[in-house]
Amino acid sequence: MKKALHWFCKQWSEKPLFSTTLTLAAMIILQTCALGTGYANFGEWGNAFVVNWINVLRNNATVGIIALGMTYVIVSGGIDLAVGSTLTMLGAFFLLLIDDKGILASCHLSGWTAFAVAFALVTLGGAILGEINGIFIAHGGIPAFIVTLGTMKIFRSVTQFFMQKRSLAVPDELLNFSSLQFGKFMLMPILYWLLAAVLLHLLYRKTIFGNHVVAIGSNGKAAKLAGIRVQAVTRRIYVLMGILVGFASIVQVCRIGSMDYANAGSGYEMDAIAAVIVGGTRMSGGRGSIVGTMLGILIIGVMNNLLNLWGVPPFLREAFKGVIVIVAVLFQKKEATA
Amino acid sequence: MRIDFDKISHSFGKNRVLHQISLEIPSGSILGLLGENGAGKSTLMNLLGGLLRVQEGRILLDGAPVVLRSPANSIAHGIAFIHQELNPINDLCVYENIFLGNELHNRLGILRRDAMRKEAETLLASLGMTFSADTMMRELDAGHKQIVEIARALHNNARVLIMDEPTTSLTEQEVSCLFQVVRTLSEKGVTIIFISHKLNEVKELCHDYAVLRNGTLVEQGKMADKEVADLSEAIVGHELSHWQKAKDTVQSQEILRAEGLGRLPDFQDIHFTVHKGEILGFTGLLGDGRSEIFRCVFGDIPRHDGKLFLNGRPFHARKTADAIRNGIAYVPSNRKENAIVPDLSILTNGTLATLRKHRRFGLLQRKSQLEEFLQKAGEFHTKYADVEDLITSLSGGNQQKVVLTRWLNTHPQLLILDNPTQGVDIGARQEIYDIIQDIAAAGVAVVVLSGDGQEITRLCQRAVVLYHGRLAGELSGDNLNEQNIMALATGAIKTTS
Repeated sequence: MKKALHWFCKQWSEKPLFSTTLTLAAMIILQTCALGTGYANFGEWGNAFVVNWINVLRNNATVGIIALGMTYVIVSGGIDLAVGSTLTMLGAFFLLLIDDKGILASCHLSGWTAFAVAFALVTLGGAILGEINGIFIAHGGIPAFIVTLGTMKIFRSVTQFFMQKRSLAVPDELLNFSSLQFGKFMLMPILYWLLAAVLLHLLYRKTIFGNHVVAIGSNGKAAKLAGIRVQAVTRRIYVLMGILVGFASIVQVCRIGSMDYANAGSGYEMDAIAAVIVGGTRMSGGRGSIVGTMLGILIIGVMNNLLNLWGVPPFLREAFKGVIVIVAVLFQKKEATA
Repeated sequence: MRIDFDKISHSFGKNRVLHQISLEIPSGSILGLLGENGAGKSTLMNLLGGLLRVQEGRILLDGAPVVLRSPANSIAHGIAFIHQELNPINDLCVYENIFLGNELHNRLGILRRDAMRKEAETLLASLGMTFSADTMMRELDAGHKQIVEIARALHNNARVLIMDEPTTSLTEQEVSCLFQVVRTLSEKGVTIIFISHKLNEVKELCHDYAVLRNGTLVEQGKMADKEVADLSEAIVGHELSHWQKAKDTVQSQEILRAEGLGRLPDFQDIHFTVHKGEILGFTGLLGDGRSEIFRCVFGDIPRHDGKLFLNGRPFHARKTADAIRNGIAYVPSNRKENAIVPDLSILTNGTLATLRKHRRFGLLQRKSQLEEFLQKAGEFHTKYADVEDLITSLSGGNQQKVVLTRWLNTHPQLLILDNPTQGVDIGARQEIYDIIQDIAAAGVAVVVLSGDGQEITRLCQRAVVLYHGRLAGELSGDNLNEQNIMALATGAIKTTS
């Protein structure tokens, strides 16, 4: 018995995926119980179960995609606070391109051709915004926290200034990119998220780039001495982040149809960072995983859902998120000093 | 590959660290590059390794001038640099480290892990290593990390191998294995530059030698023509004066006693006693646990097994403040990171541990602070321009004196010094030794932790040698010499005298 307990403690403190998986499992059990028993038959319960889960996943898809990129940023020893503002700016750009009276319409492009062009331009825009962060961080020698704190303010403020008199919308036909119904379920955002997760997992585990991200986060000096172009890799990480934010932005705009420039995406940076940390990624860099981040997002998502089902007032829910992040880092700290 | 340094000069700001160095290293030779700390060895090697840009002069490889802009650039020219402080990526595994920056991949940039693993295993086997290439780097000990670094250099097809003090953390067996590898490489035409302070090793391994002193190449030639004693003379520039063995100031009163002290995995089953007025040495190789033992004594590590007695009474420091209150002072190693506060003045650094005494109504009284500092600064002959200058404006030796001032003003009964002459040049070193001996003579029990056998033999009356966190033996009197320390520290013999 004592041996089992010892084994358990060891696994818990040494393997981040072990603790996150168990936490998630516990949450899911509570969540399943919280669905209640007031159903006529098993079919109806099953239906409620599936609807609830699809809601949880879809509500977290946008932040989920951003958190994937944030994993790379944090593993490399950086941070990106600008993702929420970048999302708004790119969303506004997308709307400017795609609106019925927008830029692409005046170039006689419409329908899915226009969408494809807009998609390409928005991801390119994301790459450029990411490159701006990356250049200041890699070459300017300014801490990522400061650079992205600055660009967070700049991107949102500029967007609000230019968009204040405009009211733009996505043409109905193109909403299907995110809002296409399968039966009565809106699954597209979830599929995009999973697709991005698989691709980024492979990029992290199977490629040179992934290894170099770990190397510069774990021991930047050693990476440099091994001939890795640390600055170039750093810039690429922020470009990747920007591209993912662009993608997330399109998914979000096509789901809602328009954008609230003052509030859209605000707080996403903290949600994404929280998910990455809860998923067992080391805040100081060098260790982390995409799988962990997926579990982290789900832990926070399921917890939110659980609090909702329990009828905890919305204003109080953020507090729980705060608690879970601090507890997660508490476990990390133990690992660091041991 | 033949290397020619052609009239290389280099300055950091106004400080000229290399003067017109011209040195030719033939292909396949093993060159022992010798000199004191600060003689310019590292600067010269950093130029070759691409960490610094050449300011004046040229570097020629096989007769062709090259421009080395970055480490990547040097690696591309076949130059591998194994640094003294090992630089592994602890979060990657062995084969990923070996291939770092030079990974095998297909056209899509996807890593060919199986191929890399297989090649790494072959490479490790050829070096006589048996650990798996999948082992995480963090799990290896220092010696094996060194081997992985060499494997990486070999894998990069290095034609020049720079090794900066590669043997400091290796056991004798690992050293002989390393030398074998180095000799094989040299036979294959790899040029090796070997930097070491262990002259016996240099004599054994190297074909040629070159001595730097104050940034100038003062001597070079065939190793066969030189004796070890001549080498050390060339390095210092004058005959090494015989050290005055420390006066025996030990008194009978016991200050600190440890019984069965342990804290896994760092150390276990440690017994020792320190007396009033004694200088007790603690030595061993990297990873021997000596620092951890005294971080426990000082309360920096709050929990341990076994018992400690201070003045015969049981003592357990749960936090460092407990230890300070009981008259224990601890001067940590890595002065830059652990001891000085770089943004504070010399005065504040020197009185940091006693600031409480200089308060009146919550305000610091500069006058009494200054009085306290100046007294010790005078005793120690600390050299500084103004007490309000930043501590970083001082040389290593003077910084260390300021740190000693800080702790002595707490009037400790036990002073623990971890690596007291780290980054202190050879002239100031003797001053620090004198200060330590005066402290002991004044009745303080002093514990010196050091990996430098010479330092221990010069300074201490008695020394405890550790091997992998266990007592390997205790030496005193005539038995306290470098040979005996080395034998115990490498686990070759186990005795007490």
